[in-house]
Amino acid sequence: MSVSFRARRRLGAFDYEAEFLAQDEIVVLFGHSGAGKSVTLQLIAGLMRPDDGVILIDGRPVFHSAEMINLPAQERGVGYVVQDLALFPHLTVAENVSFGMRGDLSRAQRSSRVRELLTRLGLDGFEGRKPRTLSGGQQQRVALARALARESRVLLLDEPFSALDDTLRATLRRELLRLREELGLTVLFVTHDLREAHLLADKLAVFDEGRLLQFGTRDDVFRRPVSRRVAELTGVTNLWSGQVVAREGSQLRIFVEGAIIAAPWNADSPAPTPGADVDLVVRAERINIRRDYFDQIPGRNVIQAEIIEEYAYGASHTLRFQPVTAGPVLEVEIAARPYEVLGIATRKSFTLELMPEDVHVIARS
Amino acid sequence: MLVFVVFFVAPFAGLVVHAVQNREVWKLLSAHQAREALWLSLWTSTLTVTLTVLFGTPVAYLLARAHFPGKSVLDAFVDLPIVLPPTVAGVALLTAFGRRGLLGQPIDDWTGFTFGFSTVAVVMAQLLVSSPFYVRAAKSGFEAVDQQMERVAYTLGASRTRTFFRIVLPQSWPAMVAGIVLAWSRSMGELGATLIFAGNLEGRTQTMPLAIIESFEGSSLGLEGAIAESLLLLGVALTVLVLFRLVVRTDTGQT
Repeated sequence: MSVSFRARRRLGAFDYEAEFLAQDEIVVLFGHSGAGKSVTLQLIAGLMRPDDGVILIDGRPVFHSAEMINLPAQERGVGYVVQDLALFPHLTVAENVSFGMRGDLSRAQRSSRVRELLTRLGLDGFEGRKPRTLSGGQQQRVALARALARESRVLLLDEPFSALDDTLRATLRRELLRLREELGLTVLFVTHDLREAHLLADKLAVFDEGRLLQFGTRDDVFRRPVSRRVAELTGVTNLWSGQVVAREGSQLRIFVEGAIIAAPWNADSPAPTPGADVDLVVRAERINIRRDYFDQIPGRNVIQAEIIEEYAYGASHTLRFQPVTAGPVLEVEIAARPYEVLGIATRKSFTLELMPEDVHVIARS
Repeated sequence: MLVFVVFFVAPFAGLVVHAVQNREVWKLLSAHQAREALWLSLWTSTLTVTLTVLFGTPVAYLLARAHFPGKSVLDAFVDLPIVLPPTVAGVALLTAFGRRGLLGQPIDDWTGFTFGFSTVAVVMAQLLVSSPFYVRAAKSGFEAVDQQMERVAYTLGASRTRTFFRIVLPQSWPAMVAGIVLAWSRSMGELGATLIFAGNLEGRTQTMPLAIIESFEGSSLGLEGAIAESLLLLGVALTVLVLFRLVVRTDTGQT
């Protein structure tokens, strides 16, 4: 299944514009509230009309502004789950789930299909219950079952887990991944939770003020943001401003707060020339801490630095380093075990090692 | 507090005590004029409410859900008859549908039909003053239904009509019933607009409140008649209120 999407729409304070293709994968739409994530789902579901664009679901145009095609929500055949679930309170679980089933199914077919879906979602025996008598997680599963009952293989999920506690969310995320495998779903998943985005996303779409800023594989977006704004939104903590001082082929040497950092130029566009202002992105988990002193290591960036702050998160530690001579403050994330092995609790001065390919350079526009 | 209770209970007690003491009242309860007026009131009010539900429900739903230019104007217009004295509504109806009215004259010229002194006029007067109560109540009932449910129902393939009957209506009917009771009671009590627009014609436009006025003014059954007729209306009102409570309670009680 695929969703091919290109749409524009004037929306109050800003202009919405986005274009992407989702194919047999989970695409996480990520951004602050009001960034345009939910709008994207509504445009696909047929609950909002683009001013202009083309939307194909599995190759079939459901909206095409030039050809005057605009299928109503009833005919788009996508499963849509919203944050507050909107379960029908006066109907039983079975009635909720079968609400969207095709009209030509017999009573027996419907009830066997309801049972199958409820079993798949671990809701056996809840057929006759009213939604309000269920726990939050069970209600969540009913909403998923109802969306799946239309035999749609495209699921639009609008922050479906955000009202639940952490443990339950973790369970449901795993369940979603399992369902995706079993049923071969294409899922568009809206969230503003970075961890959720990381866990679920095959592809990541970063939205800000109505614009799709970047669309790509998860690691690509997290490690190689196309702009300073994407880096900020995706939680990059080492985001430095610098100036190119030398260029050899695609290798750049960049002056950052008194230090020189080597980094490759990854993008297809021409590399910035010496003198150009650039932004540097380094993810906190990509910086290596070495106990022994090294003045330099061939092919690596090396910085002597001291810990100025540290935070323990249980499974990992976040450390902030101040370079001894010159350079930017660096944030480093380290797992609990290496933290102990390196004896960080009793020592403050280390050599930080940074692979040039882990430094991502963004040209300033 | 006590003063308040006395103030509210005393008038009804007065009615009952009077009736018990005065045998004449008992006889008049079954007087031909009173029976006829009660029957007219009952069936015109019921017809009015039926029309109100048929035409008022779509308007209420539209006001609750749709956004369109002039919506606030329409909204205000619906409220107008609630705040307006019924006599004004009567005069307004007369200027529109009276024999010399804006629409009344051409209709009279074409078809020879005049609204004045007809039962149709009674229903029209009741419709104008009572339907806003239903529209208001139904609208707030519809507004209380989470709109996301309708949107989800659309994505599940349900048409607007099916969504309304399967999702919206089952959740908002207590509000609609409350609106029906309000509108029906208002119709039963309608006096001013009917008197001015429909006139006071026994058997055709003389509803219960009009009969009471006439009795009270001494031209027919006298004060005893007015008391008897008031008792009848009181009985009807109490029955309706109790039934309404029962219906709504059985709904909220079982879930």
